[in-house]
Order: sequence, then structure tokens, then C-alpha cells
Amino acid sequence: MFTPSLDRRIKQVTLWTLGTVLTAAVVTYFGMHNRVTDVGYRPQQPVPFSHKLHVGQLGIKCVYCHAGVERSAHAPVPTVSTCMGCHLVVKAESPRLALVREAYETGKPLEWRRVHKLPDYVHFSHARHIRAGIDCASCHGPVERMGVVSQVAPLSMGWCLDCHRNPEKFIIPAREISGIFTVAQAQGQPEKPTATLAESRPVTAPPYGLWQTPVSAPIAPGIPAPKLPGRGPETCSACHY
Amino acid sequence: MALRRTLRWWHIPLGVVGGAFVVFWVLVLAGQKTWFSEQPPLQIIADMDDQFRVDPQESSRFFPDRRSFRTPPEHTIPRNGRAYPFGQAELAQAEQAFSQPPFPATPVVLSYGRNRFEAFCSPCHGVDGKGNGPVVQRGFVPPPDLTRPEARAYSDARLFHVISAGQNIMPSYAGKLTESERWAVVYYIRQLQQQAAGTQAALLPHSSQQRQ
Repeated sequence: MFTPSLDRRIKQVTLWTLGTVLTAAVVTYFGMHNRVTDVGYRPQQPVPFSHKLHVGQLGIKCVYCHAGVERSAHAPVPTVSTCMGCHLVVKAESPRLALVREAYETGKPLEWRRVHKLPDYVHFSHARHIRAGIDCASCHGPVERMGVVSQVAPLSMGWCLDCHRNPEKFIIPAREISGIFTVAQAQGQPEKPTATLAESRPVTAPPYGLWQTPVSAPIAPGIPAPKLPGRGPETCSACHY
Repeated sequence: MALRRTLRWWHIPLGVVGGAFVVFWVLVLAGQKTWFSEQPPLQIIADMDDQFRVDPQESSRFFPDRRSFRTPPEHTIPRNGRAYPFGQAELAQAEQAFSQPPFPATPVVLSYGRNRFEAFCSPCHGVDGKGNGPVVQRGFVPPPDLTRPEARAYSDARLFHVISAGQNIMPSYAGKLTESERWAVVYYIRQLQQQAAGTQAALLPHSSQQRQ
């Protein structure tokens, strides 16, 4: 169309521009994915609390401090009085606990930094996941080995659905260190290493991915029975309501 | 365009840098990111991730002290259950008020009690209740043996009262365990006592190992 040299030049420029834009798009899209931006978030906390020491070495179970996680949607950060239950006696003068003591005496809250945050339009319930015997480590990773807690899972919707669709591939069954009451414990059996998913899964797929798991009667007034893990729902309104 | 070109000296650093770039992005795209950051996750478009509401335990600028969890007014009662009404010294009133356990000790209740005991009591009292838990072994004041004859003679209500109100340096567990859960623990302590006295066959504890 133009002179041969100008033709070549136009081709070159077009190809280079396309290539650059495409590369930039791919890198930006995947580079901004939750598993890149969110995983590895490890804020310094106001008090240098170590899960490695308290959970890994002392063997204090998750539910001891995060008590109420089995009953509520939110996993509570322990009250300062939980810390002081032991630390009134143990390491009572430690400078590392100065902020905890101050909070205990004055009532001024201790401002821990939140590590795991789902978007506000997601209604996640810890209680029902724990009730199905899903271990904390399934989403939070091996916290008992962490000196400073970091985020190990992207907590993206795709990541949630991976597990809702194929729980047998991703679920870590309740471990002793979590303190979760499991079906095996309720039936007085020794702990089984793997969740018996086949027992709880219905034969035919229900519409909208609304899998139902049979639930037995409460253990006692106010204590719901544990259940076996099954497939999670895939309908939008299961999490976004 | 000639396929064969002369290799120049600067091709080597270029190759190294280019190779590193490729490896870096292959690892990132494969989800093998292993670096840590103290900065909160980057959000280009915030959507409605952070809505105008206060999440549980979040700080709130509405109140001068920034606490979103407010101290309830006096005489407030919780929606589920009730606040434990007695102080540590009010044992007699507690024994009268809680003389009847609200539900019987079925096997599943005992099993649940064992789970609660091992999670909430065994750090100090030990999985067998003899006061030799892992925290004690690290220097905490050892609690008295739960299976000793005096404790065996305590009424159910007294055990319930101690768990609910605390005793000496033991804090109240009314905030951690619901009323039903505390009764399940009482039943399990009874079972541990019978076990220690040899009146019942030894149980298989949930804990696979007794921490030494």
C-alpha cells in the first residue's frame, strides 16, 4: 500500500503493540488475582503472640481461645481476660504483655490486625463448617506452626467453590488440635483419618447444587449434633443473601 | 532475517534477566507465591467489599473509644441462655439453684463432655484430671487433683458452680462454655473420677497422646 519499508514498519509497530498490550493484560489480570495479592498477608500484631508456642508446643486447642466459633458465624478474637486467665500468673511481668495488661486494667481494647477478611457481601458461617468436621487448617493453614499468622488461602469465590464441589479433594478432617467435636467422637469411635463423604452425599444431584446432609437430633438442649462433611451448596444465595 | 546471529557478550546478562522474568511469572501464575507482606492486600476495585457497617469486633469511629462491642447495660440477659448469677463465694445458693442437672448423662453427652474437657480443662487439669496438664508442666500453678476423694464427694452443682464462677486463680468459664456444655463437662469429670476410683472400665481418651 505504502512504500515497502513503511509497510514493514507498520507491521512491526502493530505486532509489538499487540504483544505488549496482551502481555500487560495477562500479567495484570493474573498478577492481581487473590492468590497473588492476598496470600502471604502477614501483618505485625501489636502483641507478639505466637501460635507456634501456644498451640504447637503447649497444645492448647483452637477452640480454647477462639471460644464461640462453634456457635457463631464469626470466629472471635479472644477476650483479654482469656489471655490474663493464664498471664496473671505466667510471665506476669513480661514487657511483651504490657499492652495486654493495659487493656485488662483500663478496658481499652487491644487493636489486633485482621488477617482473614471476606468481602462484606459474603455470609460465611464458621459454625456450620466446623459442625461438619472441617478442620480450621483447611482454610487457615497450619497455624500451629506459625510464629506470625499469615493468610495461606486466597479466599476467593473460585477457591470456595472448588471445595464446595469437590470437598474430598480439599477438606482436612477435624484434627485433635482444633478441639472440634466430630461424628466419630459422638459415636464413641476412635478418630477416623478421612471423612466418609460417600455416606453423607445423596445419590442424585439436586437442582441448583443444593446438597443436603442429614442432621441428627441435638445432643442436649443447645448443643447441636455434629454432621459428616458433604458437598457444599453452589447456589448463589447460599453465601450471598 | 538471518536465523543465525552472532552471540555478543551482552546477550548473556540479557538471557539471565529474561529467564528470571519468565520463571518469576510462571511461578506467580501457578499460584506458588511464597513471599510475605505486611501491607494489606491490594485492591484495584473495592466493589462492595467493605460496606458501611460494623463487623463483629471491628473498631468503630462512631464511639469515642472505638469499641464496636459495647458493654451491655446492667440487668441485660443474653438471648440464648442466661448469665451465671452467682459469685465465687455464693456456693450455697448455687447448690440450691442448680441441684437438678437439666438433662441426663447419655453416652453422647459424656462424649461431648470429654471433648469440652480436653479442649478447655486439660491444659491445666490434664486429660486425666490429675492436675498435670501441659501448661502446668511449663510452670503454671498446678490445680488440685479432680479425682481425689474430696472432689469425688462434691455435688454436681458444686462442680458446675466452680466451672461457672471460677475458684482461686481459675477464671470463670461461663463465657466460653454454655450452660449445657458445662453440665456435659460435669458429667465427664464424674466419669473420670469413677475411672480413677476403679469403679468403671478405663476409657479410650480422644487425645492420642498424653502430653509429657
